[in-house]
Amino acid sequence: MSQVEKRAGLLRRTSSSKKPLKEKVVLMYDEIFAKEDPAKNNPRFWDELFLMKVNLEYLESKLESVDGEEVQRIQDNINSLFHHCVQALGEEHQIKVVNALQTLCALFRGVHQKNKSASGFDIINMLMGFDKAEQRMKDLMERLDSLLCGDGSESLKSLCLKLLLCLVTVTDNISQNTILEYVMINSIFEAILQILSDVSSRGQHGYDAVVLLALLVNYRKYESVNPYIVKLSIVDDEPTLDGMGMVVHQALTEYNRQYKDKEEENQGGFFSTLTSMVGSMFIADADEKLSVQTNEAILLALYEAVHLNRNFITVLAQSHPEIDIATTPTPPTRPHPQHHLAPLMNNPELPLDPNLQTSNLLITFLKYASIVMQDTKDEHRLNSARLCLIILTCIAEDQYADAFLHDDNMNFRVNLHRMPMRHRKKAVDKNIPSRPLVCAVLDLMVEFIVTHMMKDFPMDLYLRCVQIIHKLLCYQKKCRIRLHYTWRELWSALINLLKFLLSNETTLLAKHNIFHLALLVVNLFNMFITYGDTFLPTSNSYDELYYEIVRMHQVFDNLYCMVLRVSTNTGQWKEAASKVTHALVNVRAIINHFNPKIESYAAVNHISQLSEEQVLEVVRSNYDTLTLKLQDGLDQFERYSEQPKEAAFFKELVRSISLNVRKNVSLNTLSQDVLLKEFSTIS
Amino acid sequence: MMEDTDPDLSPSPSDQNSSSPSLSVCSSPSLSLPSTPSSSSCPAPGPAPSGTPPLGVISEGPGELSLVIDAEVAQRACQEVLQKVRMNQTEVEVDVGGSQNGAGPEPALSVTIVKPAQIQIREVEDDPGSVKSARRRQRHNPSKQSWLLRLFESKLFDVSMAISYLHNSKEPGVQAYIGNRLFSFPHDDVDFYLPQLLNMYIHMDEDVGDAIKPYVVHRCRQSISFSLQCAWLLGAYSSDMHISTQRHSRGTKLRKLILSDELKPAGARARRDPLALTPFCPAVSGSGEHGLSPSKRTHQRSKSDATVSISLSSNLKRTASNPKVESSQDEPVRLAPQREFIKSLMGIGKRLATLPTKEQKTQRLISELSLLNHKLPARVWLPTAAFDHHVVRVPHTQAVVLNSKDKAPYLIYVEVLECENFETSSVPIRIPENRIRSTRSVENLPDCGMTAEQRAGSFSTVPNYDNDDEAWSVDDIGELQVELPELHTNSCDNISQFSVDSITSLESKEPVFIAAGDIRRRLSEQLAQTPTTFKRDPEDPSAVALKEPWEEKVRRIREGSPYGHLPNWRLLSVIVKCGDDLRQELLAFQVLQQLQSIWEQERVPLWIKPYKILVLSADSGMIEPVVNAVSLHQVKKHSQLSLLDYFLQEHGSPTTEAFLSAQRNFVQSCAGYSLICYLLQVKDRHNGNILLDAEGHIIHIDFGFILSSSPKNLGFETSAFKLTTEFVDVMGGPDGDMFNYYKMLMLQGLIAARKHMDRVLQIVEIMQQGSQLPCFHGSSTMRGLKERFHMSLTEEQLQLLVDQLVDGSMRSLTTKLYDGFQYLTNGIM
Repeated sequence: MSQVEKRAGLLRRTSSSKKPLKEKVVLMYDEIFAKEDPAKNNPRFWDELFLMKVNLEYLESKLESVDGEEVQRIQDNINSLFHHCVQALGEEHQIKVVNALQTLCALFRGVHQKNKSASGFDIINMLMGFDKAEQRMKDLMERLDSLLCGDGSESLKSLCLKLLLCLVTVTDNISQNTILEYVMINSIFEAILQILSDVSSRGQHGYDAVVLLALLVNYRKYESVNPYIVKLSIVDDEPTLDGMGMVVHQALTEYNRQYKDKEEENQGGFFSTLTSMVGSMFIADADEKLSVQTNEAILLALYEAVHLNRNFITVLAQSHPEIDIATTPTPPTRPHPQHHLAPLMNNPELPLDPNLQTSNLLITFLKYASIVMQDTKDEHRLNSARLCLIILTCIAEDQYADAFLHDDNMNFRVNLHRMPMRHRKKAVDKNIPSRPLVCAVLDLMVEFIVTHMMKDFPMDLYLRCVQIIHKLLCYQKKCRIRLHYTWRELWSALINLLKFLLSNETTLLAKHNIFHLALLVVNLFNMFITYGDTFLPTSNSYDELYYEIVRMHQVFDNLYCMVLRVSTNTGQWKEAASKVTHALVNVRAIINHFNPKIESYAAVNHISQLSEEQVLEVVRSNYDTLTLKLQDGLDQFERYSEQPKEAAFFKELVRSISLNVRKNVSLNTLSQDVLLKEFSTIS
Repeated sequence: MMEDTDPDLSPSPSDQNSSSPSLSVCSSPSLSLPSTPSSSSCPAPGPAPSGTPPLGVISEGPGELSLVIDAEVAQRACQEVLQKVRMNQTEVEVDVGGSQNGAGPEPALSVTIVKPAQIQIREVEDDPGSVKSARRRQRHNPSKQSWLLRLFESKLFDVSMAISYLHNSKEPGVQAYIGNRLFSFPHDDVDFYLPQLLNMYIHMDEDVGDAIKPYVVHRCRQSISFSLQCAWLLGAYSSDMHISTQRHSRGTKLRKLILSDELKPAGARARRDPLALTPFCPAVSGSGEHGLSPSKRTHQRSKSDATVSISLSSNLKRTASNPKVESSQDEPVRLAPQREFIKSLMGIGKRLATLPTKEQKTQRLISELSLLNHKLPARVWLPTAAFDHHVVRVPHTQAVVLNSKDKAPYLIYVEVLECENFETSSVPIRIPENRIRSTRSVENLPDCGMTAEQRAGSFSTVPNYDNDDEAWSVDDIGELQVELPELHTNSCDNISQFSVDSITSLESKEPVFIAAGDIRRRLSEQLAQTPTTFKRDPEDPSAVALKEPWEEKVRRIREGSPYGHLPNWRLLSVIVKCGDDLRQELLAFQVLQQLQSIWEQERVPLWIKPYKILVLSADSGMIEPVVNAVSLHQVKKHSQLSLLDYFLQEHGSPTTEAFLSAQRNFVQSCAGYSLICYLLQVKDRHNGNILLDAEGHIIHIDFGFILSSSPKNLGFETSAFKLTTEFVDVMGGPDGDMFNYYKMLMLQGLIAARKHMDRVLQIVEIMQQGSQLPCFHGSSTMRGLKERFHMSLTEEQLQLLVDQLVDGSMRSLTTKLYDGFQYLTNGIM
């Protein structure tokens, strides 16, 4: 109790220092927390209460401080408060609605804060009373729905979403939030969609709506039928899906822009480098984390949309000029600038700025992924990178997505961020050619492969990465698409990866099954060797493949020795390793076939060091005597499925997002002074 | 004037006397009354025997409905004429006979009409004198006018002649008559001369305008597309007037009238012409009941009139009986959707022009078009197309920006659904972009054993499917079935089967072996088999798009389109030009088409390809692209071969059938275009402006510099036409048979063109009126053009001339110089 007093006191000093007395609203709260029915003496008690400015802190701390026995005593009053809050939402007086929304926020939060360990049922009982809970929540959801869909004030809508976000994130684990059961029954899905489909409301509330949707979809995802999952998966309204894509696009663009600004700042000359070095010791770390965290929710939303809704794939390729947010920087929690794309019928004109590059959600996403993947040491970034790769996996499996990834007419320059490394210069942005989007995906994969060979080996990410490449190759083979890509870069990256696995065998084996990864990599080569005729762009590229294998034969030799050794010993890796030995048969056949030929060519012509052209010549003239073995299932792959493999990851991810969202929402709902002012002038 | 009259056109030599315009004073009243039933004294070329009531004689088209709509317009026109007649009622007589003749050649009338017609005419003619006397008099005086009249009424009198008389005759009566006569020509024929008609309307005196206007207004009422076409052309051809006069000019007023959308069918007409109203709706709808129409004049005019009335009356009937029919409901926005559509295409062009690089332009274009897609389908169409349709989708990723230095012309492909009548057929329902996926997966499931009917059934459900199961259905790349290119002739067919699908049966322990050499061979074979494509170049995005064979492109786009499964799906393409004046292009198109039909008529196997031009204003328009063709510049740049070697690469060795036919095509097209370049003095003939199609034809494009204008007036290109040694090489060298054939073709072509010179001259001459176009600069444009037909030379002399021209062009240094100049300034090879 004393703590509460102190808070009330503090508040008095700051906000109403003239009055020595407690605020009236505080007194009224006190009445609620007394035994008596507050309306007994004052029939207009509830009416008056919602005319008062809410003191969230006081109310929440009061709820927190109620101990076990008291709960029983005051439960009726709290139920009554909840009931009247819900009723007040239907009031015409908007001040009342605002206050009721905030009070509800405080109620949900305060009750949960107090009863962290309590079961969901106790909490429901305390808030609404068991017998009435269903009706109360139905009323609440209906009122929220009509507020969100109505023509009312935008701030009001915003507050509704905040309340919902607050409700969804009160527990760390969303699936333990039993109240959400009622949100499942009384769906507000349609309201969320409506917000997303309308341009102006999307601009202002899109971010919250998308995050809310992403969280709701994750409620008891694996245990029960979640109506939000079902509904999201069948949405086919283009404007709505576009709207959703636009919100994600905007959030990711904003992140990319911030990152770029910072990067440029860091490169802005010697002095700034120095200062930023010093500065970054203190700020940069925290700053970066924050921005990544805010985007995880959006990334989750993107994932759910791509994963669940097959129609959403088209949104990825929906191209539009890159929105220049630089002029109107907006943190994600503030209303977003109104988007110009949607009112198509009225306004076909796009803003005219020759500097704007045409972009689409996929490009923005790839850029974002390239930034996030640069550094995976941090847990959040690792999660983000993993999620990015999962999204890319879903995309690579989708036929329509593959079609536009490989569309020769949709060429883009995609400036992926590359980690500055000692042994290579930072590529100049302007030199990137305009190519089909799949090239950017492959570039991103190659980039990841070459930059993450470290002691703390991100095995999971590597596996996903190699599988994405495999899926793309399968599509190209099936559709006979001959992509003009510099495959050599991929080959040498893969060979280097094998080399890294070999040289760190012992350390890696302690933690990972490196044979699985090695098998996938070798099978990528087998794809090229056996099916190269169906998707390689030129006959020369097939020769180059052989050249590269022969050139790096030592790596394959060593790999073969290693897997042979492991597979002949008895141990946990025996089977995994023996698979690799079988997979290597063609690579070894190539090496064993061409190496002697090349040596004899050198001997005959008395050349010590053969040029590339000479080796290629030897390769070309000796194909016919080489026989390869056709391997099984090279073009088969396991389809991505979230359950059971990824379930744990998503649970953790959602938990971390919940925490983050909760933090942001609480900060925000507490500063609603502006909002109140708005309504006091309106009404 | 006399010489101008083509010998073919005059039914008899004496006609030459009659063609002088002065005669028409007296003939005018007669002309205005073509429906009088009296028999003619002169033997009409048609079957009508003199002395008998001729109208009933031939009722070829009893099914043809009387021209209801014309009636009103025509009647008014006639009345106007009659009033003039009253003023100078000197010689009224002639008319009767003339009109009679009219019935002869185009006998669409039945007897029933005659009576009311007669009555009415009498009423009108009361003052000028009795019909009978007129007839009588005429019989005795086969005056000159009657010859002119006979010409007008004769079968041979076609639109071309009508336009020519309209232009040359100073006589209001003749003009008015021809104005009326326009109603009797097939729409398509008149449409060809629409630019001429409108240009005369704008720039010539009031009488001509008055003669033309009823027809134009009438057609505008009938058709949205005609309305817009007129509005655009009127705007474009008025633009050369001084701004102050322009505002109050007839053309501008008519344009405003059309765009105000007051020229609607049905309602408006009824109000204006209560007389004609009664018979319209009910009577007209029944076929063969034309007799009920009160204004026989129109009926007599022709059966083609009647065909017009059919479509129109059916519309009328619709709207009358069913007021809820869309056309009547839509009326306030009749023209709006199309105008908006065109406007947004132009807007895109304008915005693209501000972007610095090709690549940015291309990307911007794609994104702009994807937005445009959101508004489709709509009641909009491509005016360059030959059939009625609604635009349903623009496959935006296929669009390309064309090579141009400072403008941004672009080429778009447009998916349309063919329909009966774009004004009345309902607009297709939108199918979302991603719907294609479900249809595709259905199509591609190989073993679902669907019959065609089943498949069709599944298609029909596509637009409104929201079956959960289907939405969840998985169509991943694993299931994707791809049509393999036909490789069956391939030697290693068996093995290529392996290469397509890996063997999944683990039971067969026997390993399958393949030879590395086979894989390598298949790779190079398949690469060789795929039709040669150009490598993508961001600076020249159109090259790749244009190189792709049209059929393949259609198939590919159809596959990727949510509308592709519909049987009436069609693909069109159009070049949108913004900031370019296409009026000269239109003129060139008309001349080309005229020459084409002349050569066809004279059976000269010259090949040219006039491509359709749509003038939207003095600085914007659309062009129908030539499909399956790339420019010589692109050929040379991307193949790095000489033209002959390129022919060999594309069509095979010189003895093969494919090569020979390609070579023949090349020669025939070269000859055609050489003549055109000479006659029209087409300049700016660099390789970027000459296309080569897949069959070996060359096609000249870009007629921005013709007649009196040449680029920058540098005086380059003095040769008659472009004939490089490379061209001659493809023809087999200057001594080969094909080269002689080329010269022979040119000679024949020139002789044929000379024979019908007037048909060509007329097109150009009329457009010169009031025009500031550079091709009309100077005073000698027409004289020069006429001279190039060399009327005075004998055929032997002509042959000599052709030889000289060819020789001169071959040796011409300036051609080479000009190519070099283009390479330096524009990078065109």
